[in-house]
Amino acid sequence: MYGKKKWYIKMLIIIALLLGALFPAFPILWMFLNSFKPNPEIFAWPPTWISKAFSIRPYLAILQSPEKLRFFFNSYLISFFVVALTLVISILAAYAFSRFEFPGKGILNTMIISVQAVPPITLLIPYLGLVVTLRLYNTYGALILTYLLFTLPYAILMMTAYMNTLPQELDEAVMIDGGSRIKALWYVLVPTSVPGLVSVGMYTFMRAWNEYLFALTLTKTNDMRTVPVGISLLMGQHAYEWNQMLAMSVMGSFPVLILFLFFQKYFIAGMTAGSVKH
Amino acid sequence: MLSIRKGMVVLVVLAVLFSMSGTGFAQNVSLEFQQWWGVELPEGELRDIADGYTEETGIEIELLSNPYADTRDQISAGAATGTMADVVGLDGSWVYDFAVQGSIADLSELMEADGYDDSQLSDQIRVNGDTYMIPVANFAYPMFVNLDLLEEAGITELPETRSEFIAAAEAVTEKTGAYGWIIPLSTSTPSGIQNNFMGWLWASGGSMLENGRPNLVGNDKLIETVEFQKELFDKNLVSPGVYAMTESDMVEEFANGRVAFMIDSLAHLTTLRRGETDLNMAMMKVPTMDGYNGESGIGVANWGIGVASNTEHKAESMDFIEYLMSPEVNSRIAVAANAFPGNVNAEPEYKGADPLFLDAFEIYKDSYAINEFTGLPTSEQLMRDFAENLQLYLEGDYDSADEMLAVIEDEWEKAFE
Amino acid sequence: MKKIFNSFNKNGHKIEKTPYLYLSPTLILMAVLLIIPIFMILRYSFFDNVIINKNPVFVGFQNYINVLTDPDFIVAAKNTLFFVSVSVIAHLVIGLFFAMLLNTDYLGEKTKGIFRVIYALPWMFTASVIAILWKMMLNPHGIINYLLQVGNLASTNIAWLSSRSFALMAVTLINIWAGYPFYMISILAGLQGISGDLYEAAAIDGATPVKQFFYITLPQLKPILISLLTLDFVWTIQQFALIWLTTGGGPINATETFSTYIYKQAFSRYQYSQASASAGIVLFICTILAIFYARQQKART
Repeated sequence: MYGKKKWYIKMLIIIALLLGALFPAFPILWMFLNSFKPNPEIFAWPPTWISKAFSIRPYLAILQSPEKLRFFFNSYLISFFVVALTLVISILAAYAFSRFEFPGKGILNTMIISVQAVPPITLLIPYLGLVVTLRLYNTYGALILTYLLFTLPYAILMMTAYMNTLPQELDEAVMIDGGSRIKALWYVLVPTSVPGLVSVGMYTFMRAWNEYLFALTLTKTNDMRTVPVGISLLMGQHAYEWNQMLAMSVMGSFPVLILFLFFQKYFIAGMTAGSVKH
Repeated sequence: MLSIRKGMVVLVVLAVLFSMSGTGFAQNVSLEFQQWWGVELPEGELRDIADGYTEETGIEIELLSNPYADTRDQISAGAATGTMADVVGLDGSWVYDFAVQGSIADLSELMEADGYDDSQLSDQIRVNGDTYMIPVANFAYPMFVNLDLLEEAGITELPETRSEFIAAAEAVTEKTGAYGWIIPLSTSTPSGIQNNFMGWLWASGGSMLENGRPNLVGNDKLIETVEFQKELFDKNLVSPGVYAMTESDMVEEFANGRVAFMIDSLAHLTTLRRGETDLNMAMMKVPTMDGYNGESGIGVANWGIGVASNTEHKAESMDFIEYLMSPEVNSRIAVAANAFPGNVNAEPEYKGADPLFLDAFEIYKDSYAINEFTGLPTSEQLMRDFAENLQLYLEGDYDSADEMLAVIEDEWEKAFE
Repeated sequence: MKKIFNSFNKNGHKIEKTPYLYLSPTLILMAVLLIIPIFMILRYSFFDNVIINKNPVFVGFQNYINVLTDPDFIVAAKNTLFFVSVSVIAHLVIGLFFAMLLNTDYLGEKTKGIFRVIYALPWMFTASVIAILWKMMLNPHGIINYLLQVGNLASTNIAWLSSRSFALMAVTLINIWAGYPFYMISILAGLQGISGDLYEAAAIDGATPVKQFFYITLPQLKPILISLLTLDFVWTIQQFALIWLTTGGGPINATETFSTYIYKQAFSRYQYSQASASAGIVLFICTILAIFYARQQKART
């Protein structure tokens, strides 16, 4: 669409992409290389790239510990439910914001953003008190509901913005044919919003996967804890298990990478609003 | 697409049900013991020790581990919301605040009720005369030396005074690629002030308090200690990056042979011995002020223990503490943690221990154990105030050490009001 | 279904109750789990010695006055302003740039797919790991100093995080690194929603790619960009873990921000009232921003 595909433009873009990729990829590469080193060597000067004492022991240490594997299980479970619930709740809310004018809309819009402005650190004590009162302390439910609070504002804003880019005529067509609003939403708006849903879903997953403060505060037993807490448990009072921490982070990112690779296809240009009306 | 949507509906219903179910509270007669020690000890050791108690009494012990850095905040939050564990691991720097806030129970009362002989305890941390924390294990902070670096620098004798130390540090910095001295001054975990800075003052018999209140301005030994550190910095003998450095960062610098001397917890000995390192190390006393011949203090940190004030099982909690403090169990903890026991009657078998550990034990016995920050109000904040102003002084923002100490004393006084 | 819920207003205009029904899950969640604790914090901010004292005293705006006249808070405000504005702008520019690169038609889907994953990498790690990783790299004896020296760009080992002049920049850089993928992915999603017809029409009119970017892409993305900027501002202003775990607000107070200030007040000095008042101030700032956002939303629809 940008005119003829010229080879030198292609080369320029690839070079730019490769150079640009250093910024995100180099630190991760460094983390990856370090996860195979013995602890002291991680701080060696001059730094070593590939350790002579290269070892997969840090990875084995994690894989052989049922307690640590449980952290992964918990993180998956919680993230999964948070994604499912966030998507459904935010689609409904975004539909309201995008397709209706109603009293209080401005106030609600303001509120959804500003309620997140209270630093979580200050929320910690009253929030924990509330969770205890609701009998949710040390449950998955506490974390799932908490993460919904974090993810919904972005999800709603994004989905609203996204639905706003989809023409009203789309859903009106369904309703003229005798369909209900729910039908219009479910059969037309949701399928056309897939790229938006995927990005919101990715974001939600990351947010739930990576959260630390509440994961620690709202749980007390190790069988309820998540990967970020597990990583912090490797930071001792006196010394850190650097390589295991890094190995655990690398391991934690693999499934996310795979998910991401899988959902790639939804970013393909062409799944746009325009192409769906037949 | 339809089937995916149906699947999604099912998932949502499941998610809602799941959120509501939860695990709830366990109501059986068991004690919760929240600490960070389990992570520090060899795997399974603390579990084993706790199981020993269950065998004796039938009371179950549930171990709750927290990352050390977050333990204090978690206790604060737990105390405010009633979710605090029955028995909690404590650091000496938290005791005052938790005691004053009413989060931890008066142990004097509990010991008395039990008829417990407290003369067997190496120390008790008191607030307003009542005991709130009992140290279970004591970690000494001697000076670690990298002998290879000293040899390379042509130093044959370990420094005993500050001027000898400066000379040694200068030789190392000049003749090797390494630095002489390192001190972690991070303000996120400002414990470097108590463990690494004040160690110098205490070694020369100094004190930062008088009658339990701050005594900084005009305190000659302290002034001299501050100026001594400044000299090390001004002569560029200190490893770079110390303002953001924590204790664990410091150890990695030492482990990589980039620094000749550090004051550090004995607990680190295992860290330094791990894996493929072949550091040629020695232990020594922290050098004293020139001309000082008196007794030397050695900094200690401890794993303390206390009881939540809102626990329903105070007597059982105290009983469990007595178990941990009994000579046999206490020895076992000490050996496993590379620490010295909290029970004076404990006779830990350090036989198979690292020779350096035994050297340090000699130094420890030869000195008096001290940590003046233990049991002070907002202790960590006091260290942070000191660290921030010390950084300013080292950067040259203050004209004199006394000027800096006056500012810190002002800050500290507020906490003591 | 339709008839039960639909009611018409005076002008015979659209439905009234339906939007509230759609919003109800969100509203219930927020009302119970967020509004209540926030209300409690705002209440704390008007009392003295809350939480640690059973009978706090009402002191009116005293806590707010204390905080606003605290020189440390003023320093924190300055640092926060720098941290937030540089982070947010850099996030937007880098995120938009990478998203445009990754959306190009010049490359195959496979190539783009690989690059998308690489560019999203920083997103996959929790804040404490990011902090530790960067602390390792920015260590005076870390890989960054090594590469700078190998490349003859530096002659000494720079202590990035413990230098008064570099620390704030270093922390901001870490935050930029950690946060841009969020923009990139959101913008990528937004780009898919722009109809290709617009570009084709523009191409027929002979518009250059640069012109297309400014006259089609940016305006089309505007609603998404505004949402992103608003949210990012709110999140960055309270970024805690990255700063706390790398510098702890130091050296001295070079990287002290609202969040580290509040943390110290609450958990180091046990001044929950002052911490609550500081949180109230942050809430106030963000609410103003949110009002602008809502206005903007209204004006557009």
